[in-house]
Amino acid sequence: MAQRKSTRTKVAPPPILLTGLGVQYDLRLSKKRKLRDTVLRDGRHSQSGKFWALRDVDFRVEAGESVAVIGPNGAGKSTMLQVLAGILEPSVGKVEVRGKIATLLQLGAGFDPELNARENTLLVGEFLGIPHKEMVRRVPAILEFAGLGEFADAEVRTYSSGMRARLGFSVATSVEPDVLLLDEVLSTGDAAFIEKSRGRITELMKRARAIVFVTHDLDSAATFCTRAIELEGGRIVADGPAKRVIAAYKKKMAKRAATASRSGPVARRGN
Amino acid sequence: MTTHSTELTVGRPRRGSIGTIFESLASLVERRRLVWYLTISEVRNKGTNSLLGNIWWFLDPALQLFVYFLLVSVIFQQAQPAILLFLGSAILPWKWFTAALASATTSVRGREQVMRQIAFPHIVLPAASVLASVGNFLFALVPLGALYLLYPDRLTPWALAVLPVAVVQFLWTIPAVIALSAVAVFFRDISNFIPHGLRIWFYLSPALFPIETLRAIGARHSWFNFFVDINPFTWIFSGYRDALYYGRSPEWGALGILALASIPVTLLTIYLFRRVSPLFVKVL
Repeated sequence: MAQRKSTRTKVAPPPILLTGLGVQYDLRLSKKRKLRDTVLRDGRHSQSGKFWALRDVDFRVEAGESVAVIGPNGAGKSTMLQVLAGILEPSVGKVEVRGKIATLLQLGAGFDPELNARENTLLVGEFLGIPHKEMVRRVPAILEFAGLGEFADAEVRTYSSGMRARLGFSVATSVEPDVLLLDEVLSTGDAAFIEKSRGRITELMKRARAIVFVTHDLDSAATFCTRAIELEGGRIVADGPAKRVIAAYKKKMAKRAATASRSGPVARRGN
Repeated sequence: MTTHSTELTVGRPRRGSIGTIFESLASLVERRRLVWYLTISEVRNKGTNSLLGNIWWFLDPALQLFVYFLLVSVIFQQAQPAILLFLGSAILPWKWFTAALASATTSVRGREQVMRQIAFPHIVLPAASVLASVGNFLFALVPLGALYLLYPDRLTPWALAVLPVAVVQFLWTIPAVIALSAVAVFFRDISNFIPHGLRIWFYLSPALFPIETLRAIGARHSWFNFFVDINPFTWIFSGYRDALYYGRSPEWGALGILALASIPVTLLTIYLFRRVSPLFVKVL
């Protein structure tokens, strides 16, 4: 089970603290009935059509830590990130996140196709709740980093998906967060931009007080993160130094793949 | 290196009912610029993707007026002087209301993407739909004003009273849009039902005929009078018609009560919207 660090003597509250957290979905409300098949197998599904995406999660991130969240598809990784970002409210338990948050989930969310890059930057800034003046000040740097060239004045609907993602990335990383939440966004756009975006993320990671990084890319998780937690069936099943947890997880997955009768490859990306 | 904030950003404790309402209202003020951007975007998107573009803002109400003119005046041969003005003073405001409800069904549902990615107060979405719908009213004033070219003697200073009546309609549009935007998340079928429901409502309101027609039914079935009385559009249409068609003072007392009655209803819908909004991301 989880072996949490007991450094509770610290004066400042931790940047991230989850206590007894559970997130429940009511499948009768959502139309995602397909989930039911996968859910029925692992017993998280009760007769009433309720389903726990996360259950009994106690998780504390101290300042200076960067935590990788690993686990199979449907383990609750994305749900966890959404809870930390304040997008989802927990059904039970408590979530506490302190300081400015930057979330890099899917890029380009909130863009209006009929607006140009500048207007969209301001729009997303408003969604994020960044003061208007501050956002106006940041616009030139954001457009510069996105490298849109003459397309900066064109409506976003005319953009390629790569350009859209680049703009989304620039907007999302323009804040200086205390808490950085990442969901596999390191592969955006062409090779040159990937290089550039890696640099930006490394920079943000250096400055942020706490980082939570959801990924299937175990090798980059091992290099970027100091700590890792493994989720399975909505619960934390392993917690410890990144290298150790990831090595154990790899071993487990290899064993599982060997015993599986149908050796279909595990999907690389959660939804 | 910047100084780090340790302020609690996620996980503030839930408030009581008054606190919830206050929090929602405060977030609207705080995010007023977002509301405005979304409003502009909604108004703009209506004009694009069609050949005549923004001309539809005028053409749409004008054509609808023409359709009802054919029905009432040519086919049913209702003898009403200045029939176009009689119909227009009710149909054009009604167009505003139906457009508001139509956009309400998609105002939250259509922003699924951003709701999954960014935490923001969801109330801004129906708020923007309400504001954007006002565009329908403002543009409808153009064909409405043009009707006075046909009936110049009908134009009196009372025509200005159209504005307070519109405010009353606006006050009732707010809770209707907020409520419907939330309901539409859980029951997608609602958008199939809405046009029919609205049509029934329209025919039970004094739009195509004078209020006396409804009162005549009420004289035979007294329960019917009750529904006529609680229907806000009985009073709203009458108000418009007094101001625009009869050139007389609207019934301020009834409109005032209607305006006051909208306040508790609006606060209740804001509260309920906030309570169900955590479910939006889970359901969409």
